[in-house]
Amino acid sequence: MAAPELEARGIVKRYGALLANDRVDLFVERGEIHAVMGENGAGKSTLMSVLYGLQQPDEGRVLLRGEAVHFRSALDAIASGMGMVHQAFKLFSSFSVWENIVYGAEPRRGAFIDRRAARRNVAELAARHRLAVDPDAIVGKLSVGVRQRVEILKALYREAKILILDEPTAVLTPQERNGLFDVMRHLAAEGRTILFVTHKLHEVMAITDRVTVLRDGRVVERMKTSETTAREIVQAMTGRSVSLKVDKAPARPGAAALEAIDLTIASPGGRPLVDRVALTVRAGEIVGLAGVAGNGQSELVEALVGLRRLDGGKVLVGGIDATDADVAGRRAAGIAYIPEDRASVGSALAASAADNLAMGFHRSPLLARRGLIDAGAMAKRARALIAKFGIKIAGEQAPVGSLSGGNLQKVVVARELSHEAPTLLAEQPTRGVDVGATEFIHNQLVAERDAGRAVLLVSAELSEILALSDRILVMYEGRILADVPQAEADEYRLGLLMAGRAPEAA
Amino acid sequence: MSATPQPGAGALRGRLRPPPAAIAILFATLIGGALVLASGANPLEAYAQIFYGALAWDNLPNTLNWATPLVGMTLAAAIPLRGGMINLGGDGQMIIGALAAAVIPLYLPGPGPLVAAAALIGAAIAAGLYAALAAWGETRHGIPMLISSLLLSYPAVGIASYVVRFPLRDTTTGLPQTALVPEGARLMTLSGPLNVGLLLIAAIALVVLFVDRRTVAGYELRMRGTNARFAGYGGVRLEAQAMRVMFASGAIAGLVGAIIVLGSQFRFIDDVLLTPSYTWSGLMAALLANGEPAGAILAGLFFAALQTGGFAMQRETSVPRVLTIVLQSIVILFLAVRHGAGKRER
Repeated sequence: MAAPELEARGIVKRYGALLANDRVDLFVERGEIHAVMGENGAGKSTLMSVLYGLQQPDEGRVLLRGEAVHFRSALDAIASGMGMVHQAFKLFSSFSVWENIVYGAEPRRGAFIDRRAARRNVAELAARHRLAVDPDAIVGKLSVGVRQRVEILKALYREAKILILDEPTAVLTPQERNGLFDVMRHLAAEGRTILFVTHKLHEVMAITDRVTVLRDGRVVERMKTSETTAREIVQAMTGRSVSLKVDKAPARPGAAALEAIDLTIASPGGRPLVDRVALTVRAGEIVGLAGVAGNGQSELVEALVGLRRLDGGKVLVGGIDATDADVAGRRAAGIAYIPEDRASVGSALAASAADNLAMGFHRSPLLARRGLIDAGAMAKRARALIAKFGIKIAGEQAPVGSLSGGNLQKVVVARELSHEAPTLLAEQPTRGVDVGATEFIHNQLVAERDAGRAVLLVSAELSEILALSDRILVMYEGRILADVPQAEADEYRLGLLMAGRAPEAA
Repeated sequence: MSATPQPGAGALRGRLRPPPAAIAILFATLIGGALVLASGANPLEAYAQIFYGALAWDNLPNTLNWATPLVGMTLAAAIPLRGGMINLGGDGQMIIGALAAAVIPLYLPGPGPLVAAAALIGAAIAAGLYAALAAWGETRHGIPMLISSLLLSYPAVGIASYVVRFPLRDTTTGLPQTALVPEGARLMTLSGPLNVGLLLIAAIALVVLFVDRRTVAGYELRMRGTNARFAGYGGVRLEAQAMRVMFASGAIAGLVGAIIVLGSQFRFIDDVLLTPSYTWSGLMAALLANGEPAGAILAGLFFAALQTGGFAMQRETSVPRVLTIVLQSIVILFLAVRHGAGKRER
């Protein structure tokens, strides 16, 4: 049998005391789509960095087609036929597509770039791989899905035989994702090899040939996708059995807890960021707000919680006009809020867990009396929440900056749920959170609903919206395009709406 | 998504690392010693004189007298810094406080102690409002406080200078200074150069420490300092907080000016208040501790001792007191380097 296309043997990578990769072996055959899975901190990114030459392993070696290679930088890796599409694209947004693609490997004519040849090469390449892009378009004006195609073309232009795709679907609509999958299959059929880093199970089941699962820096399982199940993969990732389905009874909606009426947020130039949005979230229901990132969801949520001024319309909390109330006023009126960005909005990384868990309660009689903070009560409450939510932290005085994504999110969730506010806004509550913590957070949200609270769930993750919501709103270019009951919602229909297709067409 | 090893590794290094302030002082001492040696004097003797000049029993009152305004200005800088804000306008606020304290007793009749109290309170309020102006400019008009607080200093200094040269000039002396404050309104002397102002600043230091550690306001300010967006998200009213904090900071700066006028000079003399640059030494002390009040107060005391010792060294040896300023600067540089290096590793 021929040597594998790409092979890692006994890769060890330490960061201080932490063993990020512990004797990792990886075998990838030519022409296969190979998934690398694992929870946050399992060592996927470290392994990819080593393969792509961004990090040097402490031990072990990388082999290409049976020959040992030593990449000192990504340039070496590219020269050997590797390409990587990062989660955050590395493109010049003010340059055109062809300029981005040929950058660093421009066809020349004397001292000048041969623009005509460059443009032609790019157009040919795009046509051959069925990656439709206009070579002259300015990258900054393209949608995320098209930008990703540019990234892939950039790698193909450099004749990459092995492509590493790091969480490539996180920013795509289902339709764009299916397009990407077609491209991936086509590339694999051509004999290119694809390493697919993800933690989305259904995608792994849909497209990959084989799966390597990492846990705590070690390879715990190597499987053929056709011979395994999603459940087995999750068990390998988490080391335990995790429920993939969210069990919930039908909703029993009550009175309106949160309402927006004609809510508008102007933008300095052009179309409003949020355009006359009306929405109602009732007690005892979870309303999902779906949409591709950047269609006004963040701005809408900021306006609902009081972090952003409205340019028109009203916000009602518990039936009372709270339009003029600031954040403290809205919180007092009954809003709790799990923000999208837990690290830069939802917590103070340098501060202790006790300080973090107290925010928003620091003026309540629970923790403060006549302007004085009761440090004892604060610590006691923090310990109780840490225990109740199973937050893995050294103690309540330890800073939260050292916690993993899932644990930090539990700190935020614990604090906001302990408000027991009638309305909860949960924005991307499980982004970057591992499977175990996701399951926990989902169950908490359903429990909130069942306790009679109103939950507005904002998520770019359609599976999350579909699993949890009783009703689904789809937002596109600042407007709410549709209000779909859960029973009538499926990925296809929501995907069309997310791409801006009117409900009639859907 | 990736393994996040840095914090753990950083914590480990943090435990193994000796306290940076001590290292910075050690390095400064060595470099300063080398400088003294190169200039042909005896570094050990110079340091001995600094030490003796600052901390010998007889000299301690001088050090405390120097420390009173310096620690006061340290607190004025540390309070906003604790919340991630910087007040560069200490000079102007101090001048406004000093002028208010020099003028109020000239026109306000009544028993001395009451007049003194009124002068102190008036100085604090005037300077506090002036400082809050910078915060108002930022929250309402988007003028960065770093710039406006500094720029507001110059008109304050200029107007005070005009006032003591023309309308309020003490015509009996012909110098640019106000008339003497009545004796009853002066701050009571404790012993030697020390007056009640020392106790006042000590009391304020205790209040600042208490507010920082035990109160809701202190918690909100600390959280703003670690992450202002988090504080805003949690319901802290950031704009009102900025105004309050700058008022408190300016009020303390104003009190420092008032204490100098009512405690040692008994009149407002143009230029004299700014020469020792208490504002900048105080700001550096506050920066050393990143606004944490206990550390800032210690740093302020350290700088006061260093500067007082410098005068003694200049008197007793051939080494000029500018050496102590050099030492102070090296300490700060070293600490800044450590902070910067730590950040890059993250």
